[in-house]
Amino acid sequence: MENIVEMRNIRKEFPGIVANDNVSIELRKGEVHALLGENGAGKSTLMSILFGLYQPEQGEIFIRGKKVRITDPNVANELGIGMVHQHFKLVHNFTVTQNIILGRESKRFGFVVDEKSASRRIRALSERYALNVNPDAKIEDISVGMQQRVEILKMLYRDAEALIFDEPTSVLTPQEIHELMKIMRNLIDEGKSIILITHKLREIKEIADRCTVLRRGRVIGTVDVASTTEARMAEMMVGREVSFKVDKKPAVPGDVVLKIEGLNVLSARKVLGLTDFSLEVRAGEIVGVAGVDGNGQSELVEAVTGMRSVESGTIRLRGRDITKQGVRERIREGIAHIPEDRHKHGLVLDYTVQENMILETYDQKPFSNHGLLDFPEIRKYAECIVEAFDVRAGEGVDSLARSLSGGNQQKAIVGREIELDPDLLVAVQPTRGLDVGAIEYIHKRLVEQRDSGKAVLLVSLELDEILNLSDRIVVVSHGALIGDVQADETDENEVGLMMTGIRKGESA
Amino acid sequence: MTPKVDPAGRTRRWTIPKKYVNSLFAVLLGLIAGAFFMLAIGRNPFVGYFYLFKGGVMNLKYIGQTLATSTPLILTGLSVAFAFRTGLFNIGAAGQMLMGGLTAIGLALTFEHMLPRGILLAVIVLGSIVAGGLWALIAGVLKARFNVNEVVATIMLNWIAFWTVKYGVYAFFRDPQQETQSKAIDAVASLKAPWLTSLFPGSYINLGLFLSLIALVIIALVLDKTTLGYELKAVGFNRSAAEYAGIKVNRGVILSMTIAGMLAGLAGATYWTGYSSNMQIDTSSLPSQGLDGIAVALLGTNSPVGVLFAAVFFGMLQSGKGFMTAVTGIPPEIADTIIATVIYFAAAAVLIERVLDAWRKRRASKALAATKKGGEE
Amino acid sequence: MTLRRTLLTLLILLVSVSTLVACSGTSANFKVGMVTDSGTIDDKSFNQGTWEGVVQAATELKIDKNYLKPAGTTEADYLASIGNLYDAGFKFIVCPGYKFSSAIYKAQTQYKDAKFVLIDAQPTDADGNAVVATNTVAIFFAEHQSGFLAGVASAVELKTGEFGFIGGMEIPAVQRYNWGFQQGVAYANANLGTTITIKAENVIYQGTFSDVAGGQQLAATMFDKGVTAIFCAAGGVGVGAINEAKTRATQGKTAWIIGVDVDQFADGIYDTTNNKSIVLTSALKGIKTAAYDMIIDQKDGKFPGGQTLTFDASNDGVGIPATNPNLSAATTTAVAGVLAKLKAGTITVASTQGDLIK
Repeated sequence: MENIVEMRNIRKEFPGIVANDNVSIELRKGEVHALLGENGAGKSTLMSILFGLYQPEQGEIFIRGKKVRITDPNVANELGIGMVHQHFKLVHNFTVTQNIILGRESKRFGFVVDEKSASRRIRALSERYALNVNPDAKIEDISVGMQQRVEILKMLYRDAEALIFDEPTSVLTPQEIHELMKIMRNLIDEGKSIILITHKLREIKEIADRCTVLRRGRVIGTVDVASTTEARMAEMMVGREVSFKVDKKPAVPGDVVLKIEGLNVLSARKVLGLTDFSLEVRAGEIVGVAGVDGNGQSELVEAVTGMRSVESGTIRLRGRDITKQGVRERIREGIAHIPEDRHKHGLVLDYTVQENMILETYDQKPFSNHGLLDFPEIRKYAECIVEAFDVRAGEGVDSLARSLSGGNQQKAIVGREIELDPDLLVAVQPTRGLDVGAIEYIHKRLVEQRDSGKAVLLVSLELDEILNLSDRIVVVSHGALIGDVQADETDENEVGLMMTGIRKGESA
Repeated sequence: MTPKVDPAGRTRRWTIPKKYVNSLFAVLLGLIAGAFFMLAIGRNPFVGYFYLFKGGVMNLKYIGQTLATSTPLILTGLSVAFAFRTGLFNIGAAGQMLMGGLTAIGLALTFEHMLPRGILLAVIVLGSIVAGGLWALIAGVLKARFNVNEVVATIMLNWIAFWTVKYGVYAFFRDPQQETQSKAIDAVASLKAPWLTSLFPGSYINLGLFLSLIALVIIALVLDKTTLGYELKAVGFNRSAAEYAGIKVNRGVILSMTIAGMLAGLAGATYWTGYSSNMQIDTSSLPSQGLDGIAVALLGTNSPVGVLFAAVFFGMLQSGKGFMTAVTGIPPEIADTIIATVIYFAAAAVLIERVLDAWRKRRASKALAATKKGGEE
Repeated sequence: MTLRRTLLTLLILLVSVSTLVACSGTSANFKVGMVTDSGTIDDKSFNQGTWEGVVQAATELKIDKNYLKPAGTTEADYLASIGNLYDAGFKFIVCPGYKFSSAIYKAQTQYKDAKFVLIDAQPTDADGNAVVATNTVAIFFAEHQSGFLAGVASAVELKTGEFGFIGGMEIPAVQRYNWGFQQGVAYANANLGTTITIKAENVIYQGTFSDVAGGQQLAATMFDKGVTAIFCAAGGVGVGAINEAKTRATQGKTAWIIGVDVDQFADGIYDTTNNKSIVLTSALKGIKTAAYDMIIDQKDGKFPGGQTLTFDASNDGVGIPATNPNLSAATTTAVAGVLAKLKAGTITVASTQGDLIK
């Protein structure tokens, strides 16, 4: 079989790390080739080299058997390589057509942009690959899934043969993911070849023909997907055996800890982000909040933790009205919060680990006395957390938070919040961007919390995480609660459908 | 070698010395830049620098003068550094210093024949601190309540202070003989102390030096040892995280701006009721200590100890400049430029610290890679 | 290429500067230093006049000269500069400006073997008492006489119309210029057949010596109100007024400025080919002469220590320029007559306000 793309012995260094070390990969014509690896394994670097964004220190690239030097993305385009980035590169107040022809405008009489014929061609492409995109719609008016298809069209418009998809499903609902898979199959049928960057094994199983696994910049191996189990691929990725299922006993829900009634909250854009929202979370249960990003999750979390004021409605903790209380009071009342963005909210990156461990408690005994910090006590406490939560840092509690890896930063935050011994733990995307090992660990600690009788409110965009961890799942769509189901009585399809705004029982 | 751990629990083995190495390097760069300048105008830089430093330290008078010149710089530098550590850029030290000075002069002229010296000095010093603090508070409140950028607010407040002082001195404290300045304060109201002056005869050294050192120690303690410092630094490093942790961010902004203003206000008292004994209003520029404070803070890497050294260094340059000019005949305008080159080149060089850091890292990793490769072969 | 050119430029610069330096050889037994007032030595006024006198004397006597610019305007800064000069061997120090009063008071006791020349003021102690020590000379000028002569000259030349006055800050020297000018105009009106008016609203102190834009605005307002000539005793503010007058003259309008301290004719030239200037004449003050004289006296061992000298018309310390391209021969003659009477004492000019404007 012909190789469309062949990368041989690629080496790329960044200050301090070797991102790609002697990496070789080949993309055959008409295949979906998955590139699997944990964060920082070197997948994106490798593809950026192929797309001309980086130059390798060593190695060669062959396109259709011919050796090439890809000095910038334009060269990649010429060679028939296209890329759908994880974060779309679209101009929001331009139409689909304008976005697609941007930088490639065909001109009439040398200076008038010929949008009409471009639009016609895009419409034809869209029909051929069943993409269902209106060339004249504005980007800001179309859904995320549609935007992704615009990115795909952009590649097709530029006659790309080899298509790179960088984590394409991370922004999609399950139904949209399903659609994408279909589109990818269409593309293959039409003679294209695809490299799929992902860390989701199920998707690989579903669509890919072969899979190359990267770990710490090196190729662990290339396998035939059909004949390899998910567990085997996971082991290659992580370097040890991993369990996917979270072991947990059935929940024993106790008293109501958090009770939200009729909550209306304005979003940052001053429109209602949460409308007439009611929710109960009991001691000893994990309630998962599922939903497509931007459907009221942030507003819910901020309202509960006190970072955003509410328009109307009440929030009660163990029966006490805390609606009007500030962040600090709520922490004292027993709310802990693992924030969505650990760099923005979770940590002061320029503080040491020990200083970060007292972020909410620095003004309390024993960490301070009459306004003076007690460093020996702080150190003792921080060392305790670091030890208990397996936070690995070069200089221990004296390391700057910035110097820690993402997983260790997150473990430190989880440790800090759990050590607050809260009645309610609000965990938002607690494993975002972490490798399998860290995910496993954090999940275990969250279940432990539940088992020790705490209430846990879990907000996540990863449906797998919600399904695995939760005892009860609520679904938000457009700021409203549209579903509340027991986790063991539902499945991905049902929750996925509700995420699109269709209530249980209603037909699609 | 075991790392030395200080009470704050940090490893000081690498961090602090590296900071100073960077600053010393910056000073060196500044001096080299100044030397090139001297060469360009046909002067021997070694001779120039010899007399420059001689003019800073040649005898007790000059040492006293260097310290006297450094005094307000320590305070304005500290003001800028403190604000910076808490995430604010205080361009308003000049204005706060002016308001502090006007208050100090006003209090001195009003009460100099009524109060005993001890109480009088306390009133003057406290008054200047309060005035500077209140002046900066305006910028703090504007930032906290209306999200007005503190840089813009403090720059405008500088000029409001400038004209307020012009009017205030003219209307209330004018010297009947010379309308371009206030009346001179009596010796009893001056921060100059006879015993101190006799230690450094002929210089204008004053108790302000000790006040600035006390302020330095207090600020160092607040920043490193207190919950207040912890909160303010957290706000400075990461506003969002501070909010997340329930720290009252707006209160922090106002408070740290006010503290910065208090320091600059005190600088005003040490300058106009210590170094000087009246306020001149015939200038068309803000007191230079305001902007120099920024350079001092930069060179001092925003740490109190660094500020002390940077301020004394700048003070020495400023006070040695005249002697260099007198001996070598380098025109004063050129000498000003040389000093400015040294100061601002040094301050700017601190900014390229990061660039250098990155460069060092890259070299280190290259070297590492090279050794690895060698090992493999 | 560029590098070579840069090096060449540098070299030329080096050589030229070092030759300049080489010129200042030493032969007499003292060095002359000067400390500038706020401003620079090319301020077209005080500092410049003083420095020119120092340069002239030092060149003639082949002695070292130098000037220092204080870091600030406090007494401490002034005294520090004086100290620097002293420690560098400059023991004859000239300080122009009333602001040096208290600094010179301290310096004359602190540096007993140094000589001080204080222009426009007397050394004063903390209580405001004048104390001229034996190593100090205080020099005053009869600015009112200078203003008087400029007033007469302007009035006689323009015959009729409105005059105005712009002062810097309201300090004695500037006030004396103003009062003398008004008396001069009044004298011309009474004795020389002119009909010049000065309205109270057109006698203004701007409040600084540095606000060029402010000076331009003030002058524009006055010219708009019908003033034909403005006497500016205001440093940089006067520069603004001169600029305004030049603009107007270029547009063909009548706008005259009467300069101050030094002959400002050259500053007022708006038509270089025809050498036309809007500066009618200037009220001079012999700062240069004074500085020069004191240095020569010192060389001759006649330094008038302990004295307070006044330079006025009788010793040609004040007056108007010898040549005034903008004044007619008749005017020059008339002014010469008035000057003679001033010298003879038949005309006296008051140095106080009396019932004059401001």
